[in-house]
Amino acid sequence: GQEFQFGPCRVEGVVLQELWEAFRAMKDIVQAKDNITSVRLLRKEVLQNVSDTESCYLIRALLKFYLNTVFKNSLDKAADSRIRKSFSTLANNFFVIASKLQPSQEKEMFSTSESARRRFLLFQRAFQQLDIQAAQTKAFGEVDILLTWMEKFYQ
Amino acid sequence: RAVLCISGGLPKPTNITFLSINMRNILQWSPPEGLQGAEVTYTVQYFIYGQKKWLNKSECRNINRTCCDLSVETSDYEHQYYAKVKAIWETNCSKWVETGRFYPFLETQIGPPGIALSTDEKSISIVLTAPEKWKRNPEDSSVSMQQIYSNLKYNVSIYNTKSNKTWSQCVTNHTLVLGWLEPDTLYCVHVLSLAPGPPRLAQPSEKQCVRTLKDQTSALK
Amino acid sequence: DGVTVLPAPQNLSVQSTNMKHLLTWSPVTVPGEIIYYFVEYQGEYESLYMSHIWIPSSWCSPTEGPECDITDDITATVPYKLRVRATLGSQTSAWSTLQHPFNRNSTTLTPPVMEVTKDGFHLVIKLEDLGPQFEFLVAYWRREPGAKEHVKVVRSRGIPVHLETMEPGAAYCVKVQTFVKAIRRHSPFSQAECVKVQGETLPL
Repeated sequence: GQEFQFGPCRVEGVVLQELWEAFRAMKDIVQAKDNITSVRLLRKEVLQNVSDTESCYLIRALLKFYLNTVFKNSLDKAADSRIRKSFSTLANNFFVIASKLQPSQEKEMFSTSESARRRFLLFQRAFQQLDIQAAQTKAFGEVDILLTWMEKFYQ
Repeated sequence: RAVLCISGGLPKPTNITFLSINMRNILQWSPPEGLQGAEVTYTVQYFIYGQKKWLNKSECRNINRTCCDLSVETSDYEHQYYAKVKAIWETNCSKWVETGRFYPFLETQIGPPGIALSTDEKSISIVLTAPEKWKRNPEDSSVSMQQIYSNLKYNVSIYNTKSNKTWSQCVTNHTLVLGWLEPDTLYCVHVLSLAPGPPRLAQPSEKQCVRTLKDQTSALK
Repeated sequence: DGVTVLPAPQNLSVQSTNMKHLLTWSPVTVPGEIIYYFVEYQGEYESLYMSHIWIPSSWCSPTEGPECDITDDITATVPYKLRVRATLGSQTSAWSTLQHPFNRNSTTLTPPVMEVTKDGFHLVIKLEDLGPQFEFLVAYWRREPGAKEHVKVVRSRGIPVHLETMEPGAAYCVKVQTFVKAIRRHSPFSQAECVKVQGETLPL
């Protein structure tokens, strides 16, 4: 069956198609609310040429950020039930993935995890430069960029 | 030189959207309502998400047609884009109307592969050629859509005109030999390209038919 | 909000088969009146991080019930809390919550329906469309002593799929089971069906 393989980290039990469908249901609504089109949080420098071993560190940091900072306060403001439903699907599946990621903590992996951390910080700093609600909306509108990158590790 | 006009003096164009096939990205729209007969022209601009300003497309300034090829401007398919158009008639022009965020990597339709059929008495050989990414000049080097979507698959449908039965096979490689077929029988084939990611429109190939040869042994009797 | 007069729905339970999930409850009855029900759900994420957030069910907010197809609401393999309340005009009942959270990994998987045919020497199978969650593991073998069993994963649903090119005079048998990616579980195998080239489907 299909599963995620982020370098050494394997994640089963998540159907990427469900995440795509959830995003597609809210794409136009959420992206239309993002007026700061001159800023892209998940820029190429964040996701391009990520090595397999680095990918587990990076995806874990990104998903935890989405779970703790992006989803957490947005759900109550989402009046539209289609958005709430999509939020819930994405949040619960990100929760499943994040809970199964166990990147190695060994010393020799320090440089790899540091490289992943620098990439994540590019994303986080761009997020923090915006008003929190605008940043949450933008982060949501960019879930297609995140899923496209995650799909490379879905086998 | 930009023509100065009264903005909002005209209704906006409608149905603005990207039609994208194999990364050939055409912006298209419908004329504003209620202006039949008027010599309306259009001006297009585009924007790369994450960058700073709207950019002009000189070949699509004050044009009569209701489409504009932005394939060159949107050729980096990992970027996301917006485009907008406004209508102009004499000294009046409409406000801009904008597309949603367009993501070529996820939204382009994958065209069908090329199909070459050859046959003998009891088998048909199907050779598929991956669809090609759009290129600006015919002499430019070709890029296969397989290089963009590494796990591109093909759904091959085979219809036996004699038994009136259809069956399909999903393949990833480019050659398929169907053996043990019935001699002197017309078989029709069409193929669909399947790319990963969210469900997307796909263009089935033209149906191609080929007749297996007559069975030589019975011909000699 | 309306005065709570109506009794809350009781006996909530979920029947789940082949990833189709049906929430049922005992109806609240008021002679001569139509009672409407509202169903809401909460995934594990919401109950851990935002327990005040409940999401209206896609198809049952409201419904005349007393059942609700929650398949489209259960979109992750995590425990889901579900609750129902009754309404009659401005009167609403208290929420009644499913005693144990429902996880789709508990669904019952049944052997799939298949149709085995042949087109000349070609063994073809058509499988019922159970939805995008399902893949099919098709096992087939030549009916003779010591025959090797082949397995093919089929993802196409509802359309005839080519399995094998058969040899003249041989009989081939096929059985199939479903595999659900989201919960990593298989169904039992179906009954085997056999086909003989130049002959009709043979009983086992």
